[in-house]
Amino acid sequence: MEASRGTDEESLSRKALAGDRGAWDALVARHHRRVVVSLLARGVRVDRAHELAQETWARLIQQQQRGLLTELRLPNLALTQAAFLAADDARRVRRESISGAVEELPERQHPVDPAVSAERRLLSEEQLSRAHAALAQVSPSARSVFLLACDGQELPHAEVAAKVGLSVQRVRQILCEVRKKLRTALEEETHA
Amino acid sequence: MLKPHLTRDSAEQYILGALAPEKAAALEAHTLECEPCAVLLQEEALLSEQLTEAASTFPREERVVRPLAWHARRAATGAAIAALAAAASLTLVLLTGDKPAHPSVPDSLDANPPTLALELDEGDAPTKSNVVACPDLATQDFCTRKAAERGLLVMNPWGTAEVPRYEARTGLPEGALSARQPVSL
Repeated sequence: MEASRGTDEESLSRKALAGDRGAWDALVARHHRRVVVSLLARGVRVDRAHELAQETWARLIQQQQRGLLTELRLPNLALTQAAFLAADDARRVRRESISGAVEELPERQHPVDPAVSAERRLLSEEQLSRAHAALAQVSPSARSVFLLACDGQELPHAEVAAKVGLSVQRVRQILCEVRKKLRTALEEETHA
Repeated sequence: MLKPHLTRDSAEQYILGALAPEKAAALEAHTLECEPCAVLLQEEALLSEQLTEAASTFPREERVVRPLAWHARRAATGAAIAALAAAASLTLVLLTGDKPAHPSVPDSLDANPPTLALELDEGDAPTKSNVVACPDLATQDFCTRKAAERGLLVMNPWGTAEVPRYEARTGLPEGALSARQPVSL
């Protein structure tokens, strides 16, 4: 199933690059949430995050139509485009805050460093190894569910559930449990 | 109208995409009015991104050391594994019969590394195929342990075949454990 999904993704990407609107729709449906979450993680307001995510896809499709897109690797390309738009947005807000009277804008509204790309590392080496150690502690079954659902390939929970023979609800329950353990592991690091 | 504040659980559910659309919309609307809740949502989103990074860099255990003659040996033992997907039984299912000695290993094995390492002892190896399926996550550890005690190989619930793995204590040459290719022993 993993292979078929990979093939599916590749085939969709190929069709999207050829201008197939249906393929674009399928890819957007698959990766949109991740784009929104990545924007939220950067401190973008939720309404703006949705707008920027839409804008991200519009830009990518536009680039494809102009023949500027030679390769379509999702979700990374969309995350990079979204990060660029967020940075642009933040610069505009800063400019407005200088010229206008909105200097009291909370810091989290313009936290995006323009130089930061979607490829940035969010975790230090130490945090990563702590997270990996915590992940190694959970049961193999739970770890598999977590790795299937959260490895960045955006496998929908329903597909993860079908793969492991569990209900979607149970898959989400497992995800929450693993998430709590990893959160604790990462927080330990912060407080150390 | 003042909407209820976010809890960490509700923010988590939102990030996981598990909320009903109307609840998700209400949560979003609230974060636009309530700065602490917006920060909470950001924290959960950031955690989610961090976990994606942790998951995508987690070392997979698909590097399995196989002696060059592994397939031949394995064929000789006749031991095999078959998948039993999505069954809810708590019991061990033992099947005997002439199963193919080399169950094709689906690609998903890469995502679900073997959970049990068992060396086949040619002397004690059963002449018929022994198939053990542990279909239930809750009982998998128990099932695996019991099967290991009996010298059987175990199926993961998602239906991938088990592959014997050779531990470092077996005195393999240095580098063999991390080799991507079959290693001559």
